[in-house]
Amino acid sequence: MAQSPELYDAILNGNAKKAHAVTQAAIDAGVLPMDLISETMVPAMDEVGRLFEAEEYFVPELLLAGRAMKGAMEILRPLLVAAGQKLAVRVIIGTVKGDLHDIGKNIVASMLEGSGFEVIDLGADVSPESFVAAVKEREPHIVCMSALLTVTMPAMKTTIDALTNAGVRTKVKVLIGGAPVTSQYAKEIGADGYSENASGAVSLVKNLLAVA
Amino acid sequence: MDRQFYLDLAARGLRMPVGTDLVMNEESEPEKVRNNGAALGRVVVRSARRWGTPLAIPLMDLRLEKMDLLALAGIAVTDAERFHFTALLDESKLATLCADQTVALCAGSVARDEALAYVATQQDLIPVGMAIGPFSLTTRLLADPITATALAGSGVQPEDSDEVKLLWQCLRVSEAAVLRSARSQIAHGARAIMICEPTACTAFISPRQIKAGSNLFERLVMEPNLRLKAVLDEAGCDLIFHDCGELIDPMVEAFANRLHPVILSLGSSRKLWEDARLVPRDVVLYGNLPTKSFYSDGAMPIEEVVRRTDELIANMKACGHPYIVGSECDVLFVAEAQETIAKKVDAMMARVVPQAG
Repeated sequence: MAQSPELYDAILNGNAKKAHAVTQAAIDAGVLPMDLISETMVPAMDEVGRLFEAEEYFVPELLLAGRAMKGAMEILRPLLVAAGQKLAVRVIIGTVKGDLHDIGKNIVASMLEGSGFEVIDLGADVSPESFVAAVKEREPHIVCMSALLTVTMPAMKTTIDALTNAGVRTKVKVLIGGAPVTSQYAKEIGADGYSENASGAVSLVKNLLAVA
Repeated sequence: MDRQFYLDLAARGLRMPVGTDLVMNEESEPEKVRNNGAALGRVVVRSARRWGTPLAIPLMDLRLEKMDLLALAGIAVTDAERFHFTALLDESKLATLCADQTVALCAGSVARDEALAYVATQQDLIPVGMAIGPFSLTTRLLADPITATALAGSGVQPEDSDEVKLLWQCLRVSEAAVLRSARSQIAHGARAIMICEPTACTAFISPRQIKAGSNLFERLVMEPNLRLKAVLDEAGCDLIFHDCGELIDPMVEAFANRLHPVILSLGSSRKLWEDARLVPRDVVLYGNLPTKSFYSDGAMPIEEVVRRTDELIANMKACGHPYIVGSECDVLFVAEAQETIAKKVDAMMARVVPQAG
């Protein structure tokens, strides 16, 4: 049972205004931010993922749920920072160099954030050097790369090579995704994982890091 | 043109990829060809002749209408792909962007039109135009189009959300831009136009919302495309409708029955022989081999291409619906995989033996 059924439903129904309001009400009533995240928000996003896998939800529902989650996190994040708490897993995400398509990447970022991970979105057309710099500076656990075009996919390998050459490859797990990408391609270029959709990406991150 | 022309092509066993990009990249300086009408025209003709099709399919460059539209807003071609509208458009800007006037087109659009005129000089070829569909262009004008669409689909009204209002504004200017493109291509000789609506799919328009009563698919996709179809009909230009996105049956039915294109081109997520029951017999089904995966021998070995081609042909013959074997979308050139892609296109083509006629 979720700690805040109203917040759970607001996320499930993609109602950002309500999610924001009930989160504020819960905080005002003394509920701890981390409890709201772990006992209500993460289970809600897990259910969203389950409904997506069951083809009851589609990408639009994922995005609306992620948006509702984000609305709630806007209230909680400053409180977590003030309390010296931080989210357990940090993810860096970006669309690779030469590729301006960011919709798929945004969906994955939204779902990851909604699942309680700290997400640093580098945007689209991200150079290998920028990925390397972000890994050095932000020390993430996971690097996610997206490409929509077959012509930009090779930049995924270039980026992995750049991480290796910079000596940071072993410090992160690298996940890739995007319309033309396959698990075979992930193996070929030395990525740690591939997912064909946003919900799968969340499961993959959890599995790779053994996050419950 | 007579719809029977396309049915006859199907009956004769025509097969063809949308593969002009592959042929263009055989040139020493392909990017120069892209913006040179005469050179591009020669490439389009060479592509049609290579695959033995009278339909001269151009590049599937779905950036052009956005470039032309944004030029009206003072956005440089070089910045067009990254640009998104983030603030509501005032009436003056809307009027400018919707203007029904001849405007200076970007170099790529000029070349596309000149290439059409060149193809039109070839007696044995049908000049085919190409344009992004109004809804797909709309999604390229917004930074977060799925959320805006999802909000609209959930019942949020424009007066309650700037995101939703901007969505409708962008649809309005997109429709105008696509109409300008279509008219320009018709004026340069296009006898058919392939309208591409890849984002008119379940990733953008939720089947759950449709089931709950949302009329969003109708308003965002069908209505502007029906108006576009009317313009094509009036000009005697045929509609080839392409959507390689994930679709549900009612979407396929709406495209096939209400837009009633001469050819309906679908992505590899669909089984054409199952879709045949949704499609009138006078609409040729085109596609839909998974050419997006051709670059990878691991993901799509040549044996699998052969197997899928044979499966498609056998099932289409069994269902008796007119069809043309082809690609699920544009077969894009990939530098590192040029040879493997070409081999698979050849393998796909070799499985169909066209009949004389």
